[in-house]
Amino acid sequence: MPMSTPLSARIAEEYAAAAAALPAGVVSAERRRAALQALGLQGLPGPRDENWKYANLRALERVRFAPAGTLAPSDAALPAVSAAELPAALKGYIRYTFVDGVFAAALSSARLVAAPEHESQERLPASDARFALLNDAFANDAAVLRIGTGNARPSCIEVLFVARTAAAKAASYPRLDVRVASDACLTLVERHVSLTSDANFVNVAGEIDIGRGATMTHYRVQQMGTRATWIDTLSATVAQDASYQQHLVHLGALSARSTVHVRLAGARSAARLHALSAAKQHQVHDAYALIEHAAPHATSEQIFRGIAAERARVAFNGKVTVRAGAHGTDSRQSLRGLLAGPEAEIDVRPQLEIHTDDVRCSHGATAGKLDDAVLFYLLSRGLEPDTAQQLLKWAFLADVVGKIEIPELKRSIELALAGSIDVAADLKDLL
Amino acid sequence: MSALLRINNLRVAVGDKPVLNGVTLDVNPGEVHAIMGPNGSGKSTLAHVLAGRPGYTLTDGSVSFLGRDLFALAPEARARAGVFLGFQYPVEIPGVNNVYLLKAALNAVRKEHGLPEVDAFEFLGVVREKMKFMRMDESFLGRAVNEGFSGGEKKRNEILQMLILEPKLAILDETDSGLDIDALKIVAQGVNSLRSPERSFLVVTHYQRMLDYIVPDFVHVLVNGRIVKSGDRTLALELERRGYEWVSDAAA
Repeated sequence: MPMSTPLSARIAEEYAAAAAALPAGVVSAERRRAALQALGLQGLPGPRDENWKYANLRALERVRFAPAGTLAPSDAALPAVSAAELPAALKGYIRYTFVDGVFAAALSSARLVAAPEHESQERLPASDARFALLNDAFANDAAVLRIGTGNARPSCIEVLFVARTAAAKAASYPRLDVRVASDACLTLVERHVSLTSDANFVNVAGEIDIGRGATMTHYRVQQMGTRATWIDTLSATVAQDASYQQHLVHLGALSARSTVHVRLAGARSAARLHALSAAKQHQVHDAYALIEHAAPHATSEQIFRGIAAERARVAFNGKVTVRAGAHGTDSRQSLRGLLAGPEAEIDVRPQLEIHTDDVRCSHGATAGKLDDAVLFYLLSRGLEPDTAQQLLKWAFLADVVGKIEIPELKRSIELALAGSIDVAADLKDLL
Repeated sequence: MSALLRINNLRVAVGDKPVLNGVTLDVNPGEVHAIMGPNGSGKSTLAHVLAGRPGYTLTDGSVSFLGRDLFALAPEARARAGVFLGFQYPVEIPGVNNVYLLKAALNAVRKEHGLPEVDAFEFLGVVREKMKFMRMDESFLGRAVNEGFSGGEKKRNEILQMLILEPKLAILDETDSGLDIDALKIVAQGVNSLRSPERSFLVVTHYQRMLDYIVPDFVHVLVNGRIVKSGDRTLALELERRGYEWVSDAAA
């Protein structure tokens, strides 16, 4: 019988104090209480949990769980954010900005539809979805996107989540609720940044439902401040003939953890996850990605490239499950980590669980340093050792960076990457 | 005439194991020297040591290149000073564009000589022309360095790099290995096109076959890390006839 931990007791207390200010239109009181109860029973994940070994959750001890919007005004007296402080807008994209999890109309280019509650879909195995429960309990707003079939052109939307409050004061609960109707097409850019404080606690929950024949491309860029703790739980369900492509980019935060579950629920559906992580100093980036083949003839691809420099730790646990009856599954995994510092750590772990015959699954995982033979080859052609190393680090990420199809976004990620792996930005012209 | 490359009593070990046991050799400008020898004789080690590959211990002797102490130069400095190593097993570098590497390498040499960076447009023209000469498809321009190249394509790519960089000393490490006769002819044609009174070659090979196409001025036979016999090109033919045991026995 799991014991209630002191942490969940504190969560319950903070919930009780904030409950009156938590809007039922975002999550019903009933669902909030159910989430809280489940959390009380299970507690939050820790290093002893199977899929949480590498995540750094130490900051939770010092976090105040109530969301910023529910605090007394004196606590939340931060000056308004000006549009100039935000990342440059993407051409052709509607922008919705959320500050500490709450929609900010003044910083957005369109109004957001009202947040209709909908029945929760089947989520991850409960033990990996516990942070989503925490979001259920405390979320005070949601980015609700309903993409209809009638649109002639693909919808292009950016949701920008800005965290401003320090973790010791309040938390931020970005919430994403996306439904793409049959045959519709959505490109969504989801960005997470820090402003004012670089020590935020952000706990993201997302649910995505992609209808028959629909297509969704989802860019997710985590560029939080250097002392932030950022946790993310995302579930996507992909219907027949639909496809979902996620580009997950971890650059910032002191501790970041992504839990991604993609369920290929319909025949001939497709999922692609291209993940990239660049960490240095004491950063910890951890991700667990589960692609579940639950229908026949679906295809999936997982590509991960991670670099850990200095004393950083980068982990990626990529799992593919093929359910009984999911015959004709075609799944590919390529996970690679690069150690770029003597005290850095890389953990890549491919997992495959197959419950049916007639499947094609390939996987490869490597973790190591730059190849001395390759370095010598470049030196023997006259390149400086520094340039040679930078070039190889950059080239290592090229597989994943090259798949980002929005030029301004790609450029901004390249610039951030150049800073975080110590590469001259002009090198990219050389690849 | 002063030697371009002067190797004097060179002794090199890998760990505790001696690999080169006193190699002495002068290479004058314009000369082509072939280094032959049985497997494990140290000929590839000699090629790599000259290019500066780490992992070898110099235990005795010296090498001067253009009058400078070669071992005082880092590998990249040797390359810029005009030493080129054509690898037996060129590495694949996914993500690094072939033309980019060529350009970066050429600009490194030009910088050394106080020349401005090469004009990108002109450079591409020159590369195209040389690729045609090496019978390489233009699609190689956009590909990553050696990625997915066949053995023969990799060797041709090495020679292409050499043609662009125009080194003073080209060391070719078993460039003929794994080549069919047509590819061998193309590679040899590339090498011969670069022969000039100022440029020297050290051609390391196991078989005399390549020397039918790249005709050497001198042939040296390396056995157990030592040159046991030197001669003109007829030595290679004699070796072909009599086998390495002939010189190994003579050395013993």
